[in-house]
Amino acid sequence: MVFFDVGSAKSELKNYYDVVVIGGGPAGLTAAIYARQSGLSVLVLEKDLEGGYMNLTESIENYPGFTSIRGEELGVKMVEHATHFGAHLYTDGAERIEVSKDEKLVHLESGKKVHAKVVIVAAGSKPKQLGVPGEGEFRARGVSYCATCDGHFFKDGHVVVVGGGNSAFDESLFLSKMVKKVTIVHILEKPTADARLREKVESNEKIEYRPLTELVRIEGDDRVKQVVLKNLRTNEEYTMEVDGVFIFVGMTPNSQILEGLAEFDQWGYVITDENMETKTAGIFAVGDIRSKNLRQIITAASDGAIAAFTAAHKYFE
Amino acid sequence: MALLGKDVAKQVKDILSEMEDEVMILFFYSEDESMCEYCSTIDQLLSELTELSNKLHVKKVDVNGDPGAMERHGVEMIPALVPIPKDGKDRGVRFYGIPAGHEFSTFLQDIMIFSKQAKPQLSEESVEKLLKVDKPIDIKVFVTTTCPYCPRAVLTAHQIAMTNEKIRASMVEANEFMDLSAKFGVSSVPHIVINEQHMFIGAYPEKDFVNEVLKALEV
Repeated sequence: MVFFDVGSAKSELKNYYDVVVIGGGPAGLTAAIYARQSGLSVLVLEKDLEGGYMNLTESIENYPGFTSIRGEELGVKMVEHATHFGAHLYTDGAERIEVSKDEKLVHLESGKKVHAKVVIVAAGSKPKQLGVPGEGEFRARGVSYCATCDGHFFKDGHVVVVGGGNSAFDESLFLSKMVKKVTIVHILEKPTADARLREKVESNEKIEYRPLTELVRIEGDDRVKQVVLKNLRTNEEYTMEVDGVFIFVGMTPNSQILEGLAEFDQWGYVITDENMETKTAGIFAVGDIRSKNLRQIITAASDGAIAAFTAAHKYFE
Repeated sequence: MALLGKDVAKQVKDILSEMEDEVMILFFYSEDESMCEYCSTIDQLLSELTELSNKLHVKKVDVNGDPGAMERHGVEMIPALVPIPKDGKDRGVRFYGIPAGHEFSTFLQDIMIFSKQAKPQLSEESVEKLLKVDKPIDIKVFVTTTCPYCPRAVLTAHQIAMTNEKIRASMVEANEFMDLSAKFGVSSVPHIVINEQHMFIGAYPEKDFVNEVLKALEV
């Protein structure tokens, strides 16, 4: 299907914004909408694509108002919403936040600098590596962490998907549209994916789910040729020929930028108070980067709204 | 039926309304569908775009009618799109394949940069390093139109090309150029190939991308 994504057309960066939001996913965009509605000037920095990780989600069926919507479509709608209210979207990454008495100075990857009174970090998370032999060696030679990006290269092939969560199941359904066969391997007996996704996978003839199976090693020559799997019931190892390996074994937060400015839990997620503020006054953390129980688009949006509301009342009245 | 929906067309019009100078897009095409599957789609896309701004122009180059044209313009394959700023100088920016999906935003951003003196928005440090490049550099960024990490890699590569006339940078839509993708073992995008030898995968931040270009020079 041909679609046309307008993205953020480049425009001049200003020297100062009331609020600089780092990350253009649902948390950051919602923060931008609420901050604009409080009359604050807002910059949203996104280094890849606005909408964030939901761009990689085939279908979203738990965001109120949309029975079923493609992730990328919901992303575009949120971007339109934020720009409609006058948020300035800009393509760049943030490298460092310098804190002084009255303001923050955000250093960008391009070398530019932006002053702000409040910084809302919504930098999200990135896929975790599995940590097995062959994973690094065959990265981009058959090993991938993005079905939406790379699925096309395995047309009519056999791929193995590692993981049993929502991402693993959603991406398997997406892959099943182009490949010949998908084998999902998961170290636990039961998948942790939602019932709705489990049903779809069960009724899909191209997808096979192998519980209690560990991926031990990835092998090949110039490309992935096979994987070594281990049956955790019997501890037997065996090989399976595959063309590709897709790994969805959870996420790790992009929280490095807050080192020294915030507290972290044991997994590296940022600890905030109930208003999303970190231990540094005027720096907030929202969305998947934050230590919490449920990481969903709706909870990301909720975080963003609370942070922007709090910032507006605490620092601009 | 129009390719760009009403909403998208309106947004594009808004963006293009901020163009300062005129921009010309050279479109290298063939009528022969076996040579160019997407040429007619690109043709339609370009005519829809030019209707949205009077500063955007298209010049079509039929590679069958003018067999020497590709070599003269340093175009390797079709379909190819080459944006040219007001001064008429080729800045080494190429799109091979349809700039649809997420790459549409890259195409628009390139047009906007070209309409503003084709001034790349790279850091001074990067520009300084790139100006020292004195040998030809060819950067190919393999993408798929559904890859959200790819536009940034393409836009960075294109801006690198704009800084120095020795450097050329191309977006290559991997599905349209399967053989070339296979030649470089592309299976995860963005996949960047410099001078057909030096490769790396992923959307690197600007300064890391620039360092890869310099590394490729040492090979």
